[in-house]
Amino acid sequence: MNVAFYVVTACAAAALLFAWGYFRRYRVTRPPVGVMSLGDVIVMLAAIIVVPLLYLWLPIWLVALLLALGIGSVLYTSLEPVLRRRWAIWLATLALLGADVWAARSVGTSDNVFFAVNNLVLVLGIVGATNLWAQSGMKARDAAILGACLALYDFVATARLPMMTDMMNRLASLPFAPLIGWSVGGGPGLVVGLGDLLLAAVFPLVMRRAYGRTAGLMALALAFAALLVMFIGLETVWADMTIPAMVVLGPLMAAQYLYWRRRTGVERTTQQYLAAP
Amino acid sequence: MFGTALAQLRFGASVAFGLPFAQWSLDWLIDGLLATRREFGAIGAEGAEMMSGPEMDDEMRRDMHARRFRAQAKRAARDTAYYAHVFDGLGLDPAHLSYEDIGRVPITPKEALRDTPDAFVRRGSRPAFRTTTTGTTGWPTSVMFSDHEMRVYTALNSIAYLTHNQIGPEDVVQLSTSSRATLGNTCFALACQRVGALWMMGGLVEPALSLALLAEKRSIVGKKERVSFLSVYPSYLGELVETGLRLGYRPADFGLERVSVGGEVVTAGLKARARDLFGEVEFIEGYGITEIWPVGGVVCEQGHLHFEPSSGMVEVIGLESSQPAADGEAGTLVATPFPPYRETTVVLRFDTQDVVLPVLGPLTCAMRNLPATSNILGKRRLALRHAEGWTFPRAVMEALEALPDVPLPARFGFCAVPGGVAVEVVAASDAASVRRHIAASLEDAGVALQALTVVTDPTALTHPYPLRCDLRETSFRPTNTQAGWQPVENSPARSAA
Repeated sequence: MNVAFYVVTACAAAALLFAWGYFRRYRVTRPPVGVMSLGDVIVMLAAIIVVPLLYLWLPIWLVALLLALGIGSVLYTSLEPVLRRRWAIWLATLALLGADVWAARSVGTSDNVFFAVNNLVLVLGIVGATNLWAQSGMKARDAAILGACLALYDFVATARLPMMTDMMNRLASLPFAPLIGWSVGGGPGLVVGLGDLLLAAVFPLVMRRAYGRTAGLMALALAFAALLVMFIGLETVWADMTIPAMVVLGPLMAAQYLYWRRRTGVERTTQQYLAAP
Repeated sequence: MFGTALAQLRFGASVAFGLPFAQWSLDWLIDGLLATRREFGAIGAEGAEMMSGPEMDDEMRRDMHARRFRAQAKRAARDTAYYAHVFDGLGLDPAHLSYEDIGRVPITPKEALRDTPDAFVRRGSRPAFRTTTTGTTGWPTSVMFSDHEMRVYTALNSIAYLTHNQIGPEDVVQLSTSSRATLGNTCFALACQRVGALWMMGGLVEPALSLALLAEKRSIVGKKERVSFLSVYPSYLGELVETGLRLGYRPADFGLERVSVGGEVVTAGLKARARDLFGEVEFIEGYGITEIWPVGGVVCEQGHLHFEPSSGMVEVIGLESSQPAADGEAGTLVATPFPPYRETTVVLRFDTQDVVLPVLGPLTCAMRNLPATSNILGKRRLALRHAEGWTFPRAVMEALEALPDVPLPARFGFCAVPGGVAVEVVAASDAASVRRHIAASLEDAGVALQALTVVTDPTALTHPYPLRCDLRETSFRPTNTQAGWQPVENSPARSAA
């Protein structure tokens, strides 16, 4: 395996593990009224379908701005309970955003300096976004439904249509490109999409809250194992291919939810989870 | 969450800009609040802050009040017979009223609304509900509301109960108020239903029956074992306390957690003595009257009465002038409910006849960002002017209800005499020591006491202060009068049998 494999695998593991560790230790500032519901998941699905089309259609500078705003707000959310002081949060957020922009402009988005910075920014963003969803009450059922729907969508949009590939190619030249990756010999190495890691990282959190630590750890292990298998495959038998990762992760999420639902019953609420020993 | 956010935006637009309330936004908010409680256990303080109107400084408040008053005045002049006549004679164009012009609009006396209620109903509105006041002597005042308004008030009440964690789906609620208080009862009861609580109408029945209902154990899944929230008049609460202690009830017999008490003066003595019976309950005090509904006040931890500025404008007008009360001068609350809170029966600068003192800022209480007055001192017609100044019912009641020698509710009367007031009061005994305690308490409360009559029989009072607990509703007595009213033990086995 080349170094890209190890870097991307480490970043994926970091995203999953940091999100897991963050979940019990820090409380993100969630909206004081409202719970993430199935309706919100449907809105997210609609956005996931529409946004790539927007990204392909909008002027590139606007796409870059939207990415910056999105990543910036998620970074702020991640850092707020950790750093606590408002000036420190802003400083860290702007520094990370600035570093990403600097790296993209100074060395280009194919350079590993850019990947190093961008990977860090995205891993922190994954920690924040997944904890915001999970701590806003996202149900394991809804996460499983999201995963299952995305499996179908990813299959069509990635494997059957050029849309996702075209979008990734367009965004790959921008700061805050939604790809965790590493370049090899100046050329494309290994990349994994931000969305895939978001789903892989959020599911263990919601399963932990819903059904306990064992269910969460199982989800964590299976998600990492699935990603690892796909990374190995991309480095060996499926080189130069694009794998719609959700086609693997989605059904895995659905199956786990059904298993624990059958075994344990109704999901716990956040209140019940926090009150449990 | 997205739906809740959208609903918050729409709700905020109504509060901030006076747009008509959209029922869907209120329903979505309530559903969001219920979901938040289910998931997280309670609504945090940030939730309550988010649902209250925007913080405003004095200038912003004046500007908003001017705009909203103008809007309401335009509708009043155009659509109501009463205000069409008023503005005709005023030479003021309601469409161009400035904040300073508001003082030129005549104060609407209580008698006008009482005598010609239909003249205040807007042409083109769709009144669906007519309510009458319950605390009035003589002919009651009636006010009309539309179906939309009643739905909005129910929703706003639901939102308030949930955001302040006052009533939730697990609560069992008892209304021990007059069944004729249809506006307050309807809004409260339907709000309880909407939040998922179990409510029942207790009414102003014999206190022993109310106590038995409060002590009654239930076994309903998802509900607390006993009544956890009581809505009650202060005087009736006093009767419950006296009767309950006499019958041997103790805190362990009840599951009461919160008591909403209003409609009359609430004294510190009443609350302290109520805790002897019910234990450490939380008292929720507020102010709300039919004529200016839903403009109302909430009492803060420092005893101020705070008003939310977007629902209406509240002025304190001097007792003996039509001008704003000066600092330290008592005045009556004069209120103008604004759109979109009040659409059908419109009143401008309505004199509630409830006496308060203006409060000097800056305030340091939790609600310091909301305009405030002192708590209600009593009705204007029940206050006394004498050579030493004014004596208001609150001063007398606070003094009397603090004393264990005075049975609750304090039954008393007072009248002006040269040099001050003469007070008559019902006490447990007319012994000299009791007289001394009562006199000392009244004097400590600042009452210019010139004469004191202590009686043990309430019928001996010559000028009795009216109490809402005397709006008694009767029921058929149990056939076994020896048993009286006993709480029923609702165990599952008993229910199955």
